[in-house]
Amino acid sequence: MLRFVVRRLLLLIPILIGLSILVFLWIRALPGGPAQALLGERATAESIEQIEQQYGLDKPILTQYWTYVSKVAQGDLGTSVTTRRPVVDELEERFPATIELAFAAMLFATFLGVPLGFIAAKKYGTATDHASLVLSLLGISIPVFFLAILLKYVFAVRLGWLPTVGRISATIDLEHPTNFYVVDAIIALDPEALWDVLKHMILPAIALGSIPLAITARITRASVLDVQNEDYVRTARAKGLPPRVVDIRHIFRNALLPITTIIGLQVGLLLSGAVLTETVFAWPGMGTWLVDAIKQRNFAVLQAGILFVSFVFVIVNLLVDISYALINPRIRVS
Amino acid sequence: MSVAEIEAREIQLEGPSSGLWSDAWRRLRHNPAALIGFALVGSFVFVAVFAPWIAPEDPRAGDLSRLGGTCCPGPSPEHIFGVDQQGRDVFSRVVYGARYSLLIGVVSVAVGLSIGTIIGAIAGYFGGWIDSVLMRAMDIMLSIPGLLLAIGIVAALGPGIIQIMVAVGVVQIPIFARLLRGSILATREADYVLAARSVGVQGRSILGAHILPNSLSPVIVQGTLALATAIIEVAGLGFLGLGPQDPSTPEWGTMLTDTTRYLQTAPHLALIPGFAIVISVLGFNLIGDALREALDPRFRGRA
Repeated sequence: MLRFVVRRLLLLIPILIGLSILVFLWIRALPGGPAQALLGERATAESIEQIEQQYGLDKPILTQYWTYVSKVAQGDLGTSVTTRRPVVDELEERFPATIELAFAAMLFATFLGVPLGFIAAKKYGTATDHASLVLSLLGISIPVFFLAILLKYVFAVRLGWLPTVGRISATIDLEHPTNFYVVDAIIALDPEALWDVLKHMILPAIALGSIPLAITARITRASVLDVQNEDYVRTARAKGLPPRVVDIRHIFRNALLPITTIIGLQVGLLLSGAVLTETVFAWPGMGTWLVDAIKQRNFAVLQAGILFVSFVFVIVNLLVDISYALINPRIRVS
Repeated sequence: MSVAEIEAREIQLEGPSSGLWSDAWRRLRHNPAALIGFALVGSFVFVAVFAPWIAPEDPRAGDLSRLGGTCCPGPSPEHIFGVDQQGRDVFSRVVYGARYSLLIGVVSVAVGLSIGTIIGAIAGYFGGWIDSVLMRAMDIMLSIPGLLLAIGIVAALGPGIIQIMVAVGVVQIPIFARLLRGSILATREADYVLAARSVGVQGRSILGAHILPNSLSPVIVQGTLALATAIIEVAGLGFLGLGPQDPSTPEWGTMLTDTTRYLQTAPHLALIPGFAIVISVLGFNLIGDALREALDPRFRGRA
């Protein structure tokens, strides 16, 4: 097991180096050169020279790359052109918002998708099964931003049950020590704020969770159908175990294995989908941050955002792989 | 009658197998999901090709007098899908939008599929360090979530239709490369390739008759599904305002931008282009799923 983890960690190194080179080269490929890109339209000859010195843009490219990597490693991601604030400070506010949303979407997808897939497989070939297949097909065919608009139209605009934009009502006064508003509200022991925060989260989380929900349900169904024909299931049945015990202990537990593998895949979907969902609901997370950055040609933010999100994505995939090996002994040996 | 004769008769009863493709085609024709998919995609392509004859108006020309001070008049006998903020006929815009979605989708998948399969074939065929280098490069591309990679590319190239095609195409490259490489590696060692080799079939016909056809079918399935993804991604980039910079361009995703402001008074502005996207994506997904089943040799011989 240790060998597997070490090998997997070693594989991480070329990926991270490659990723940093890609992002490093990307900003150099922008029209007008890196100094112009980092400074934006307000660049003067003076400020360009200053940036060029600060980042050593006049030095050889390898030195430049080294400067960039060591700055990033020290947590210096540059300065936002529009707000003149360090990019790291903005990241600290934006990132928890996206993680909170993505986590809620994941909970929604898993706690609904797994039981749905399980029921569909148990009722294989019936109307329930067909309905779940059709629904999951629709789920992967609806663009996440269109589903977000639909949900907003029905539940916020027409029915007025839930708020249309943002993370919290302007009337609620809440300290933000963690920037995870749910956690903040719990720390503050403020049930009213908690309820408000949760109400803001429902629609974006459902919109963002819909595609993972469809995929989870499909994979669970396929996986349960596979497992339930295994010899050990037949043996368990033959021993006279009650069907519910066989369902849970033999079928369900083994069917869960493939489901854990797709979690890593879904994190990429969630991070991509968050950009679009946040735009519809004006959710102040990484997505709206990056989209604003493109419109304002704020490349320092874009560079840091893409690097950071990809870094998180790579790490989550690593954790998923390792936990998968923990659950499934067959992987460890190979 | 000997056992061998009985078995021979059983094999004959299944009928002569007429090859992977005609088998797959036969199965597709009997799959209701595939038929619905073909109908949806067929009408999508039909609308895209014959847009000038179907659309009653110029999709770019608006008439502000139609608004009558409100935004925006909904469906009426003159404008079955209503009128947009600029007084343009939404039906004509959706019809022309099919052209953009189809064109951008097909071109970007063609870009991703051709470059991706070339990389995958080289990696799978040569193996060794070439394989390692190429596949690590693909891993790095996959380490950036798809939409963010596309956004980065559009940010570097500037917004526009060609740029979107490139961005969405590049995102697909590593998917096709990995798929074809994995499938070549798997087929190279497959029992039927060993069997062909052991009865003395020549190397070239093994590659042509056994390895490639069996390696390509997952690529074809993925290509169909990728068209669905590409249409969604193109619309997403358009929705974020990275698409065609001329806002009168009738691209479906671009049409959805800003419509959330009018949800209260004119929901048709968001709903109609949105459903157009869903219908075309659904069509490609249905065909892709059915193709996967039809081309899977494990299902061969079933209707």
